[in-house]
Amino acid sequence: MPEILKLRKLSAGYGPLRVLHEVDLTVQNGERIGLVGLNGHGKTTLLRAITHMSGWQQGSIKFNDVEIGGSRSIGAGRRTPKLVRSGIAIAPQGDAIFPGLSVRKHLECGAFTKLAWKERKNRIEKIFDIFPPLRSLEHSLVGKLSGGERRMVSIGRMLMVEAKLYLIDEPSLGLAPKISNGVMEALWKLPVENAAMIIAEQNVNLLSGKVDRIVGMHAGRMRGEVGHVSLL
Amino acid sequence: MDFGLIIYALNLASIYALMAIGVSILWSSVGLLNMAHGATFAVSGYGAWLITGFMKPIIIASFGKTAFASFLMASTLVGSALISGAIFGAIIYLLAFLPIHDKPNYAVRGLIITLAINIASVQSLLYLFGPRNRGLPKIFGFGRWEVWGTKIRYDQAGTIIGAIIILSLTLAWLRYSRRGLEVRAMMQNSEGAAYSGISRKVTALPVLMLTGALAGMAAALLSQTIFVSPTSGSIPHIMGVTIALLGGLGSVPGAVIGAILIGFLEAFIGSIPFLGQRYVMFGTFSFIIAVLVIRPRGISGLLDDTRE
Repeated sequence: MPEILKLRKLSAGYGPLRVLHEVDLTVQNGERIGLVGLNGHGKTTLLRAITHMSGWQQGSIKFNDVEIGGSRSIGAGRRTPKLVRSGIAIAPQGDAIFPGLSVRKHLECGAFTKLAWKERKNRIEKIFDIFPPLRSLEHSLVGKLSGGERRMVSIGRMLMVEAKLYLIDEPSLGLAPKISNGVMEALWKLPVENAAMIIAEQNVNLLSGKVDRIVGMHAGRMRGEVGHVSLL
Repeated sequence: MDFGLIIYALNLASIYALMAIGVSILWSSVGLLNMAHGATFAVSGYGAWLITGFMKPIIIASFGKTAFASFLMASTLVGSALISGAIFGAIIYLLAFLPIHDKPNYAVRGLIITLAINIASVQSLLYLFGPRNRGLPKIFGFGRWEVWGTKIRYDQAGTIIGAIIILSLTLAWLRYSRRGLEVRAMMQNSEGAAYSGISRKVTALPVLMLTGALAGMAAALLSQTIFVSPTSGSIPHIMGVTIALLGGLGSVPGAVIGAILIGFLEAFIGSIPFLGQRYVMFGTFSFIIAVLVIRPRGISGLLDDTRE
């Protein structure tokens, strides 16, 4: 199976703080990977480093055999739009929403390719099929939605274009179990035959049996593959 | 307040709104507090003065003093001011945005660089054209309409209508175009915009050109009332920045409401016999400070009606 993502000796942090310590990770095509670890142990920073949103970083990141890593001390986010356009979709922690836009306009923001923009109406309908509560909120301001609805909008925006790599940061964070189960069900329905998915999550129960592998992070280092049983 | 005073207030509000919206959009989307907005205003005025000076004999020789010739002159003046403003906006993009947009302390560096551009531009205009005021052709002609017993000058009516048209076009562009949607997304969450594939580096150029063109339009309209000079942009710039703050940075409707409020306040204070023009600045700035103390995000802060 071809590799979609290959991290080698990836370190990253913010200012003087080093959060990631020479992380190695390989993600194959078609894989769903669960990334688990306690708060503050580097899950979010890992996803941010892949999209060049960390404060600084060094080490190799190969995406579809193209080197997108390297050493960087400034310019967080400078390369992010280009990476997103090359096929890395991310639903970040905190949702990074546009509070003054309606749900429909917010989803349209995710349709950045020419094809997606042309087909945006159909694609938005598909998102509404995945997240039915959003249909009735189509014209509501995103800033007025509840936490769970915002999550759906954030993930919906990520799904407006086909990506090669989906990065989802704590999809269940702050959500009631019923809502988070609904969000996770929608994620499991996503086809990943020609893509891969990394889900950073603290609630192992939500990942267990649904992802191909669960890898653990501790103190900014990879702790290798983690058995479902040992976590439970 | 009589009808003539309302027209005077709306006339001021039109110019202020054009300047304030430019400052507001630029700050909230690109993160640049453009201190060279006043220079853009002045440069656009001189651009319009140079081009109309060149074109006037050609237009008169070709079409005589006909209504069509007047229309051509008006189009030349407005077009040249818009284009000069947009080009100067692109120059600010090259000098003050592109080299530093991904560096630490970008906002402060941007402020300092644009301030330097402002000073250098005003001094260059002084060096090239001298301190003399320059009059631009009166595109709306000389004359007055009488409405409800009040005489309205053509230039006042033209300024108000021109500003409304340009502001409506800008709002429509922001609301309905794809690039406008990108700008609005950037105004609300730059990180979210980056995650949506929206590049600040790419979007900043049209935003700077648009806000430059708005300053150019303000210069073209104000040139119908007062003369163009190297420092003519300083007062509109100061008013633009403060009204943008008053309206709530990032809020286009807020900037329009702020401009109308300040326009009326200026007209009203100026008309009070024992206060007069001397106290106009004092009165308007006291009002702005009072509003910001009560509502730090301004009249219509972008996030006012949303959850934190």
